[in-house]
Amino acid sequence: MATIPRTDNWFLRRLNVQRRHWKAALLFVLPAFVMLLSITIYPLIRTLTLSFTKLELAVSPRETFVGLDNFVRVLTGDARFWNAMGNTAFLVVVGVALQVVLGMVLALLASEMRRGRTVWVTLFLIPIMIAPVVSGFQFRVIFNDTFGPLNYIIRQLSAGLISPPAWTATSGTALLTILITDLWQWTPFMMLLILAGLESQSQEIIEAARVDGASYWQTLWRVRIPLLLPVLIIGVLIRVMDTFKTFDLVVLLTAGGPGSSSETIAYYTYLNGFKFFSMGYTAAMAFIQLIVIIVVSRVFLSIQKRQRGAD
Amino acid sequence: MTHRNRPWVRLVVGIILAAALVFFLFPVVWMFLTTFKTQDQIFTTPPVLVPPAEQWNLNNYIAALTQSGGLQALRDSLIVSGSTALISVVVGSLAAYSLARYRTGGDQFAFWILSTRMFPPVASAIPLFLIFRDLKLLDTHWALIIANSIFTLPFAIWLLKGFIEDLPPELEESALIDGASAFQAFWHVTRPLIGPGVVTATLFTFVFTWNEFMFALLLTKNRVRPLTVMISSLAGGHEILWAQIAASGVIAIIPGVLLVVFLQRYIVRGLTMGALKY
Amino acid sequence: MLKLKHLLVALSIVAALLGAAALAQDAPQPLGLTSFELCPKFDPPVTVTVFGDAGHNMGPYDFWKADFEAMGITVEQVTAPFENVYDVLKTEFVAQTGAFDVVTFYPSYIGDFASNGYLLPLDEFMAREPAAVWDPMMDDVLAPFRELYNKFSGQTYALTVDGDVLVLQYRKDLFENADEQAAFKAKYGYDLRPPETWQEWLDVGAFFTRKAGETLAGEVLAEDFYGSSEFGKRGFSVHWFLNRAASAGVIYFDEDMNPGINTPEAVAALQNMIDSLKNAPPDVLNSGYDELRDIFIQGRAAMVVQWTDVPKKAADPNQSKIVGKVGVGRIPGTPVGDTVVHRSMMPVGRVVAISADSDVPEAAYCVIKHVAYNRSLEDVSTSLTGLDPYRLSHLNNPSAFAPLMGEENAVAYLEGLKVALADGFPEIFIPGSAQYTDALDLEVNRALAGEISAEQALNNAAARWNEITDTLGRDSQIAVWRQALESYRALGLIK
Repeated sequence: MATIPRTDNWFLRRLNVQRRHWKAALLFVLPAFVMLLSITIYPLIRTLTLSFTKLELAVSPRETFVGLDNFVRVLTGDARFWNAMGNTAFLVVVGVALQVVLGMVLALLASEMRRGRTVWVTLFLIPIMIAPVVSGFQFRVIFNDTFGPLNYIIRQLSAGLISPPAWTATSGTALLTILITDLWQWTPFMMLLILAGLESQSQEIIEAARVDGASYWQTLWRVRIPLLLPVLIIGVLIRVMDTFKTFDLVVLLTAGGPGSSSETIAYYTYLNGFKFFSMGYTAAMAFIQLIVIIVVSRVFLSIQKRQRGAD
Repeated sequence: MTHRNRPWVRLVVGIILAAALVFFLFPVVWMFLTTFKTQDQIFTTPPVLVPPAEQWNLNNYIAALTQSGGLQALRDSLIVSGSTALISVVVGSLAAYSLARYRTGGDQFAFWILSTRMFPPVASAIPLFLIFRDLKLLDTHWALIIANSIFTLPFAIWLLKGFIEDLPPELEESALIDGASAFQAFWHVTRPLIGPGVVTATLFTFVFTWNEFMFALLLTKNRVRPLTVMISSLAGGHEILWAQIAASGVIAIIPGVLLVVFLQRYIVRGLTMGALKY
Repeated sequence: MLKLKHLLVALSIVAALLGAAALAQDAPQPLGLTSFELCPKFDPPVTVTVFGDAGHNMGPYDFWKADFEAMGITVEQVTAPFENVYDVLKTEFVAQTGAFDVVTFYPSYIGDFASNGYLLPLDEFMAREPAAVWDPMMDDVLAPFRELYNKFSGQTYALTVDGDVLVLQYRKDLFENADEQAAFKAKYGYDLRPPETWQEWLDVGAFFTRKAGETLAGEVLAEDFYGSSEFGKRGFSVHWFLNRAASAGVIYFDEDMNPGINTPEAVAALQNMIDSLKNAPPDVLNSGYDELRDIFIQGRAAMVVQWTDVPKKAADPNQSKIVGKVGVGRIPGTPVGDTVVHRSMMPVGRVVAISADSDVPEAAYCVIKHVAYNRSLEDVSTSLTGLDPYRLSHLNNPSAFAPLMGEENAVAYLEGLKVALADGFPEIFIPGSAQYTDALDLEVNRALAGEISAEQALNNAAARWNEITDTLGRDSQIAVWRQALESYRALGLIK
């Protein structure tokens, strides 16, 4: 892309801006920069300083400096933190992967549709418009073994031969119900994102591949999905970040139980921050999560970069 | 697309679509049916799948909208989500253009933008509360619009950046050579070409804000009361108003559906085709 | 454009209609059974902002609008969802926004709020003359609420407005069935009765648990029937354990704040709860208040331990399949020597207090005294709220409850409450209560789910409690805990 020579001005080179348009480049980015910086800088610094202090608001507003103690406690002494991280990792890895695959399938089907596509896409999009605070209540009833429709229908259809588990009340399946609800809610997000990506792909390139004798699947694998990668990566990144925040569903479906089998990191952080008001500990936990998400995101972006380099 | 005419392909496609439809719509239908149920038809055995015909009335919708404050909540959520979406997409598309075309600040800057939304909201909620307290913005729409932008703006920027990067730069370059300003090139050449991206970004920034709960809970009191908080308030300790929750949920879908129906025509193939003669 | 205009016009008509529908409102009639005088009229009039959990329990501030107006007070209401009362209040208090004058909260937070100086002590107002205006008649408030949930460090900070306590609720018809009585006697060697001890709870529970197709009280069951059920969902399951543990003499900490929750008695209590799960429905571990209520009032379980509003709902033919079949009794206990000790947990409940940042403390006091005493009998005896009785004058006035459930049921209901409240055992209410309770609930729940044994669970919880105490500051925690123990002693909960 860098066909236009780079500037030799030191400042502009630091900013990576082409000389001819440096004013426009900076001006365009300024509103977003100012907005994001001004909202996030104080919470970030405040949380950073908090993470090195002990602040237990349940007993007193006094802050004491404790160095790295909070981090050490989170990382070495808190089995519940690791359990919650493990549960969250399950939701992130399995859940998001399923959302991508399912979203891709639905987007491809939709993109092939001639008539009725608006209706289909709108129908599939309804789940994301239902706030988790609402859908949580629906799924709480749906998954209920004694009173819910799901197990009732399963038993009726199988004439009592299949006895389904009590989904939300069994350690082995409680987390799965959260995964399924999340899948229900966010697959449409991936679908629309991918659909938009597919639709903005240049038809010429696809036609060219087709003319060269590539099959539908070959075109898909070699041309369309690589072209889709930037959109796909951002979709996955957003979903990874937001799955780390899975919280309302946990509150409504299982409250983290049975035992700690469905406690997610966002729910555990919420308990520490807003029920225990252990602010220093919460801050440390938040930073550890931030670092994890940054590392994961870096990995994804480097995949994208390598792909681009290979093009 | 000859393979699509093979019967087994059509069968597989049909099964996938039918299964997906059941999976995605059953809970929605369930919610809709719940809006006509009485309090004693929620936890029964066998479950009440379809409530009796005489209960098919709008009582729970009216109760949700009036007694429970749904109208005000709908208004507040529309103001907050609409403004957040508008600001995020306008500000975001400009920034995305700058990042994609001029590589402003390089990869590190772009990553910083994305990273602002990685911070757990639980940790930033109280510092934000203190900021808005000092700015006297608590219990206003602005507090929520600004707070939600933390999550929607980076999303809009990155999404649109992806779409712009996919466009060949030659188009704008020729406009620039013809004497257009950078803004004109963006507005007249790039913006129309990233229609699907803009639509997707608008829709999702709207929906993210529409569904957000924690900031809505903490940063508002009684002057502003978004839908998520209003709906959660229908679940008391010993009295969950299931039908009203479901009715509010159904009402809350409407703006989103209208938005999708209205915006979808911009996600159609061919919009970009004609322009890409390079 | 024309279309849009039409749409807007139509929408505003609908909105106006809906608005008109919202105006119709209900309120209980004044009973005239309580004697009081209103505060002298504030001039100029003042606005008092009241915070509480959303829903029908804010009703009293609407019901008594005219009374407040007579005092020159306008009440403005701010609510948060039930689950988020503490989050919102604590944030406002920490940030010292002064947004609320009157705050409603769950009394387990009284230690936190009072010791941090968020609340105004009420003693000065309560002592003012004339008593008819200012005295909230604390002697009329049942001792567990008055001593444990309203006071902190010897001062009164809050007034109770909702008296929650757990009671035993059972199917009278099944226990009185002659065939079942005979079968029970043959199997267990003693008479069938509402369980007196937790061991009997297991026997009776197992006895009544039947599969679909078997017979119960002469009728063939179409669905599985359960002998008993529990609140097994994370968050509150701990209280169903503590009903058992407290009756066996378990108390949260000793004098020096060493956890008392992993004694052999506590382990046996938890084991009893684990054993009882096999008599409960398969989804007992995700049973919250609603599921536990409905398994009972839908006629699928023989007995449960529940809050005191469930019998009211069981008496309502619109929601209940067991109208007239419900007995209310004492929660089972544990034999100690030759007597049986009973304990009933008092989870949740509501108290009202005045924020230390309030600009209008006097008017705020007039508001809380009005709802916590003057009109409290009306508020607890109406179906328009979910507030439960907490004063002697409530328990001694069955006539107030008669319109709701009939005279005879009202007498039985209030007698049941009297007994339960005499056994009342408090939640942890010292600062850090949320942490202690959550840590114990987590481990109890893990044991219920079969992840770990009862003994392991309670040892884990005890270790965690020590960590929490150390983090919060052991010396200061010991000081507040010793004060709490004083109130336990005053009530005879411990020797």
